[in-house]
Amino acid sequence: MTRWFEDIVIDEVFELGEHTFTEDEIIRFARLYDPQYFHIDPELAPHSHFGGIIASGWHTVSVGHRKMVDALFAEEQRLRELGKEPGVSGPSPGVNSMEFKVPVRPGDTVSYRLVVTGKRPSNSIPGWGLLFNRITAVNQRGELVYRAELVGFSKLRDYRMPLKLRVLLALTKVPVIGSRLRRPT
Amino acid sequence: MTNPATANRRHFEDLAVGEVIQLGHTTVSREMIIDFAQEFDPFPFHLDEDAARASLLGGLASSGWQTGGLSLRMLVDSFLSGVASAGGLGFTDLKWKNPVMVGDTIGGTVTIAGLRRSASQPQWGIVTLDFDVRNQHGKQVLTMRLANLVECREGAAA
Repeated sequence: MTRWFEDIVIDEVFELGEHTFTEDEIIRFARLYDPQYFHIDPELAPHSHFGGIIASGWHTVSVGHRKMVDALFAEEQRLRELGKEPGVSGPSPGVNSMEFKVPVRPGDTVSYRLVVTGKRPSNSIPGWGLLFNRITAVNQRGELVYRAELVGFSKLRDYRMPLKLRVLLALTKVPVIGSRLRRPT
Repeated sequence: MTNPATANRRHFEDLAVGEVIQLGHTTVSREMIIDFAQEFDPFPFHLDEDAARASLLGGLASSGWQTGGLSLRMLVDSFLSGVASAGGLGFTDLKWKNPVMVGDTIGGTVTIAGLRRSASQPQWGIVTLDFDVRNQHGKQVLTMRLANLVECREGAAA
């Protein structure tokens, strides 16, 4: 979460809140990202084994991501109100696994929960740590909608860059030399 | 029992391991990035040019979930819309290798990595699909292995 890497507690649970999916938004998302007939076509969807329109798994997961981002912002706010400096979250390197279980139908309300399952300093990006988070999403009947094992980045508070890296970083700011040191994007 | 929505599509029996699907291409605009980020991923580095430059991404880049969604869209257009797909089961090893920046064009391939009949549901098979999505410079932006259910032509009746 938006805390310094050092302050992140393994097994801490964050209730991320819930979202009710309407048929309109299910179809709107799927037309852009997953236009299969059981996501977008109310006439054909009843022929599928789902028996009607269901949300794209990518949609339910994207909403879960939004819920996590909102929780990060709320945590940042909470820390500021306590007079503490919040940490810095970075972009995610990936997702270890995602299992879609019960489909989400129009009108379903999905609740999202995050548990921190592990953390370690990044080997490839100095000054950052990797966080391992599990998100579970359940519907209003308590059925599991999906379970995801996610990886995220959080900045280290107490990181002191090795001298070699500090010199290299300073050199990248020198014209001519710097442009050669910086990797092309 | 034939599903009229998928009767004329390729079924599980028609697929072969090693088949390579060409994904076509999608160019990612600033509007697309901001629209998606506002709804699903409102981190400043997906919404604001200056914040993005100061972040690990180095510039305004799409949400990883949007990159994945666009990759899925290309798979639907180039493959799943012609297959008797019965929905996704999930995925493993999704990696966002490099950010997708404003104006980038992504494309690539998906390879059929595995095919197996469902043990419990004879009317279905499971296809595993390996994504290799790259930008216009040939740099990998996303990889993942997706598992998708496909209807079998023979089986439901057997």
